[in-house]
Amino acid sequence: MAAKVEVTRPTKIELARLKRRHKLATRIQKIVKDRLSILIMEFLQTVKECASVKESLLAEFAEAYKALTITTGYHGYVPLEKELLVSEMTVKVSAGTRNVAGVRMPLFEIEKVDPVKSKMKNAGDTSSILDHSTELSQKCLETIIQLAELENSLELLGAEINKVKRINNALEHIVIPGLDVTIKYLTMKFEERDREEIARLKHVKRLIEQREAYAY
Amino acid sequence: MPTDPPPDRLITGYLKDEVRVLNAQIPRKRKSLSELLEEEHPHVICNDGNEHYFRKKELESLSQMVNDEERSSLLLPIIMEITPDRAEIIIRTKGEAEAKIFSTILSMSVICKQNKITIYRPQLGVIRNALKTTTQYVFSP
Repeated sequence: MAAKVEVTRPTKIELARLKRRHKLATRIQKIVKDRLSILIMEFLQTVKECASVKESLLAEFAEAYKALTITTGYHGYVPLEKELLVSEMTVKVSAGTRNVAGVRMPLFEIEKVDPVKSKMKNAGDTSSILDHSTELSQKCLETIIQLAELENSLELLGAEINKVKRINNALEHIVIPGLDVTIKYLTMKFEERDREEIARLKHVKRLIEQREAYAY
Repeated sequence: MPTDPPPDRLITGYLKDEVRVLNAQIPRKRKSLSELLEEEHPHVICNDGNEHYFRKKELESLSQMVNDEERSSLLLPIIMEITPDRAEIIIRTKGEAEAKIFSTILSMSVICKQNKITIYRPQLGVIRNALKTTTQYVFSP
């Protein structure tokens, strides 16, 4: 798309103002580009981490389900369900935010699970197999919270990257070329004006010389 | 009747926001590592009024890298200055603690010259991977 020349007043002050704006726009574009590269780097790192956490979560889930199946086989479905209904576990998750290059991202941290409160109500009816299964489920919960944080961060980073890309494109393809064209137009206009002025002065000088020649 | 602002003014408005957002994450006041380790929810207040929380595990791993004296002098978050047109990233320090931490993370010697540590962009990823909440970017215009 060809850049449009937008001049309100074709004056030297306007040209100086435009040159200042051009300098500022170029500087801002460099900063925006830097920010974009940082955000992309963070995004790629989060993607990598997200993939590895997902993989480990799948492995943990497989292990936990396997343990649960063994526990169900050992205790029986109905007694196990009864036991799980009355059991309780306190999980404390502290939530906060962290700021990465202007993007506010969530930060979840699971605090230590209280071992006393997370015990089964009726210790007599439970077994080490059930305890093992519970431990594995707790581990899964920690990974789920970690994954939730990463997925949310990924979404926020992606949205911000899109936004910054648009700003960068607007600067690169609209603002800076527009300023370039306007500055060029004004410079040429002033040069033309100067040339006209010189030609006019030469013509006046010639006229004066001719008049002086006739006078003698 | 209200009308849309001209496109140029619209872009100027966006840019103004962009510059404001760029360094919104700078903390108003940094806290020392020892101070943060004592807090239940370690955090600092950012320039825009929001809170920036630190991961406790990260703080604990940092405390293992430095000695007691450095723990009280190390100010967090560590600020990494990014300047356009320059490939290096500058970290302004007060002591040697930052250099010690970075050399441990990067597994190479990092020199602190005139209270400045210089690292390069490929190293930034490694540092950010290890110190996600304890480092912050600053875009220097």
